[in-house]
Amino acid sequence: MAVEIQPTVYYIWAVTGLIALLLLFINSRLRKFDPLSKPTGVVLVCMMAVQAIENIVREKTNKDLARKLSPYIATVGIYIFISNISGLLALESPTGNFSVTLTLAAITCILIEVFSAEYRGAKGYIKSWFEPFIPFVLINIISKISTLASLSLRLFGNIIAGSILMKVIYAMLASISSLIPFLHDFNIFGVIVAPVLHFYFDLFSGAMQTYIFVILSVSFIGKELPSND
Amino acid sequence: MEVALLAFAAALSVMTGMVTGIFEGKVAIAAVESIGKNPDASGKIQGMAIIGAAISETCAIYGLLVSFLIIFVLGNKL
Repeated sequence: MAVEIQPTVYYIWAVTGLIALLLLFINSRLRKFDPLSKPTGVVLVCMMAVQAIENIVREKTNKDLARKLSPYIATVGIYIFISNISGLLALESPTGNFSVTLTLAAITCILIEVFSAEYRGAKGYIKSWFEPFIPFVLINIISKISTLASLSLRLFGNIIAGSILMKVIYAMLASISSLIPFLHDFNIFGVIVAPVLHFYFDLFSGAMQTYIFVILSVSFIGKELPSND
Repeated sequence: MEVALLAFAAALSVMTGMVTGIFEGKVAIAAVESIGKNPDASGKIQGMAIIGAAISETCAIYGLLVSFLIIFVLGNKL
């Protein structure tokens, strides 16, 4: 039986390979780095990024969890950011596929349940499903599903809206520039207008959605924990 | 006729963005006002404003997704 592979899978592989190459490059720089000297260039950027992510996680959760949770948050952040801006490299964004965003949101939802169970204990965790009293179990289940839906659909909707709008705008500009004679279907307006829109839809919106996904994941997890100290 | 109805339905579902636009502006107003009152807390207020705007934006995104579904899924069936 022939297995049909969706084209998105190739884009996911491409983005994964890109991230792997980037991390190998950073790793080779970090190995050469002397810990006693002053950090510069790539090393400095990495240090600042790690510090920023740890600060975000520590603000929303507690200190012990920050060391456990921040590697996952950083991984998700890097993956979502690189796939959001992969529209600039003439790839289709993997985050424009609902399976990818649903998977990412499902990981977050499972983490919420795991940390909630870890903090409350088995008895308290089962009791938390029936709070404030027993018939509310239905509402609790719906609220858990809506967390999953809103996390995944927000990212997916923003990215797919950006990419479809870019396609529509390219088609429109191509039809406008075909009115100009002696150009042989060269999309001259596309060259002028598209970079600005790419900056907004790919770079700005991509960075924004990454930040929002990360912040919301952390604060949903932090909501299940005892108050910050 | 059917195409026109589908286009009308898609346009209606995108209109969820109308109210979202107004009230996301209100989030920005509140953030700017509170930063003006208390400039030291600007970092925290910025984070909260972005989260609030993102959560209220979800509604508009749902409308947009529904209109995409109408155009690309129902439109292909014509």
